[in-house]
Amino acid sequence: MTAAAGVRRGPLSLVLDEMAVGTPTVAQMARNLALDEQVVRAAVDHLVRSGRVSARELSMGCPASGCGGCASAVDGEPGCGLPAPVPGRRAGLVTLTLTRR
Amino acid sequence: MPVTETKPNRQLNLLVASVPTPSVKACCQTGTGTGAGPDAPAVALVGAPNTGKSTLFNALTGSRVTMGNWPGTTVEVSRGVWKTTRDAATCDCEDCTCDESDQKLDITLVDLPGAYSLDPHSPDETLTRELLVGVPADERPDLCIVVCDAARLANSLYLVSQLRELGLRLVVALTMLDVAAKNGVSVDTAALSKALGCPVVGIDPRRRSGLEGLAGTVRETLGTPAPAPRPMAAELDSLELDDDRFSWIAQAVEVGTKAPADPQHTWSDKVDRWVTAPVLGPAIFLGVMWLVFQITTAVAAPLQDFLDGLFTGPLTDGALWLFAQLGLTGTWLEGLVVNGIIAGVGMLLTFVPLMTLMFVLLALLEDSGYLARAAVVTDRLMRAIGLPGRAFLPLIVGFGCNVPAISATRILPSSRQRILTALLVPFTSCTARLTVFVMLGSVFFGPYAGTAVFAMYVISILLVVFTGLILRRTLWRTMGAEPLIIDLPAYQRPTLRLTASVTWVRLKGFLQTAAGVIVITVCAVWLLQSIPTQPGERFGDVPVADSVYGVAAQAVAPVFGPAGFGSWETTSTLVVGFVAKEAVISSWAQTYAVEEPEDSAAPGDLGDAVLASFTESSGGHPVPAALAFMIFLLAYTPCVATVAAQWREIGGRWTLFGIGLQLAIAWGLAVVVFQVGSLFL
Repeated sequence: MTAAAGVRRGPLSLVLDEMAVGTPTVAQMARNLALDEQVVRAAVDHLVRSGRVSARELSMGCPASGCGGCASAVDGEPGCGLPAPVPGRRAGLVTLTLTRR
Repeated sequence: MPVTETKPNRQLNLLVASVPTPSVKACCQTGTGTGAGPDAPAVALVGAPNTGKSTLFNALTGSRVTMGNWPGTTVEVSRGVWKTTRDAATCDCEDCTCDESDQKLDITLVDLPGAYSLDPHSPDETLTRELLVGVPADERPDLCIVVCDAARLANSLYLVSQLRELGLRLVVALTMLDVAAKNGVSVDTAALSKALGCPVVGIDPRRRSGLEGLAGTVRETLGTPAPAPRPMAAELDSLELDDDRFSWIAQAVEVGTKAPADPQHTWSDKVDRWVTAPVLGPAIFLGVMWLVFQITTAVAAPLQDFLDGLFTGPLTDGALWLFAQLGLTGTWLEGLVVNGIIAGVGMLLTFVPLMTLMFVLLALLEDSGYLARAAVVTDRLMRAIGLPGRAFLPLIVGFGCNVPAISATRILPSSRQRILTALLVPFTSCTARLTVFVMLGSVFFGPYAGTAVFAMYVISILLVVFTGLILRRTLWRTMGAEPLIIDLPAYQRPTLRLTASVTWVRLKGFLQTAAGVIVITVCAVWLLQSIPTQPGERFGDVPVADSVYGVAAQAVAPVFGPAGFGSWETTSTLVVGFVAKEAVISSWAQTYAVEEPEDSAAPGDLGDAVLASFTESSGGHPVPAALAFMIFLLAYTPCVATVAAQWREIGGRWTLFGIGLQLAIAWGLAVVVFQVGSLFL
């Protein structure tokens, strides 16, 4: 996962390192690495696209199969009372997880 | 993936059947679109989706292609004629002798599908790569205009970095400069051009500004030799190669953009610095939750008293009058309706204002984005004690309802993590328990009811943490923590529609529980309280203490003697509470309504009866006994629905282990709290 010895470590490797040590947010990573936040965000986006990191928008616990698969679903409605995702409006979380290779 | 020439992808023709050959130039000559003629230079428009590429194509060619501000608009190769005119007055030829034909140049403009990079992850990107890389050099476009979003410059530059490795003539067209400026970022096109090694032109295709400058730059660049490819170190693996490109991007962004000396952080950033700070963040979170409980209990209390008076007063009186008119006074039906349904379900319904307010406040926190920050704080805590970071999500859901929280453990990658988290979820204090906490808080802690309820939530978190630690140290010593980061959404102003919608759906769930499970439980409790155990007593006319319900509760009650709440009236509610925690209140109301029916007409009597019961069972230490009871209620098995969910997710063996663990912890803590508390209170 890390660059070979002798090769200068670039933003991607540094971002991966930050993820591995548990830096919780992109903004915090940018501060730790003294990089422009948009570079870090672009690096994260690239890592996701290239499959080194998996991104998952969390819908506060609903199963992947949707509300129908939820133990507390009533007549197809979310039993937990949480709303369905609203396009363009994200109050939930996106977790980014390192993909082991 | 290194950008190297590849053999044409044979599957490509199936994907892009409308394109005769995978070549921009051939496409221009033989395709179905509009071309400027075989000798006209071919210029390709490339760029990521949503950068304004199609809008630019329309502006330059006047042709009509689908436009939109969502990714993936351009799904086919579009072509058009870009009629450029060099203004003689601005011609930079020395001693200009250009005639009209020199000043006009028709260019075949090809709008390639949107692509973030030349590493294809979609049919669109595959086609773009094919047309730029997978064709012989003489079939490539004479020049590429790379449309880059200035507001997300670093994202756009990855494609530029790859194109620079091909030795193509490039012109970077920067869009969204106004958005970048709003973000406090200005772009120095000259410096960026130098860093990238190709011309950079700022444009606004929507307002058609900067297009003449773009035309001039393109014409000028077409007259120059193709640049040498950007030098790359040899023998790099894919990560090292990407790292090299991002180093180049970082340098270009640093040189080509100017942020204010004191970077303009959005107010969202500023707030996040405080609310996600390692020490202050948890303190703010606790403060916010304390405020929520204070507001809830203080504001809802008068409304709750009003409803309580309504149910125990006019509604009960009305029902009694009706039964008297029907000649059914003293019958089992009157007992079921008055002492069962009205007393039990009615008492639960008095909590509707409280639950509504609580749901509104939580929906506001959630919709504003604050709860996401609370997740960061929680995640950090989980990680600090060695629990899997992702486990915070089901645990947060558990504070609403344990059942979906158990389902949410499916997001955890390993079965060990799922089992551990599913065992911890029942310790999160769900809203059903909230009703009991609020009632006992107002009876035993008066004006400090909100703080008492808040304390239960803090204890709930501590229970999760310490139980998790114990299980990790004993059962799962080898379980690894999953690294993860959280991409926080920006703060948003909560919307009335969403807040109202969330509140209503949750309130509806509460009412459905009251109308479904609780009504059935109330009927079952009434039935058990109506069945006599002594000879000579008749069904429906028996003191509760002598009923099946009372006798069974008396058999269990001594177990809770050391915890200070060993009275059968209290113990029985815990048994009923196994069905659903809301039933604790309804069964209490039933028991006291049946036991002393003549007192049930005055509001507040249930609280007085409960206080008297705790005072007696604790030997004069009602407050520590109530605290012990609340902690037991918090820690023991939440409800049958949770047990069913656990059974399905982690199997019967672990579910039974969990029930045993919860009961042991609940009883042990309750005893300790009462024994220690009774020394002081």
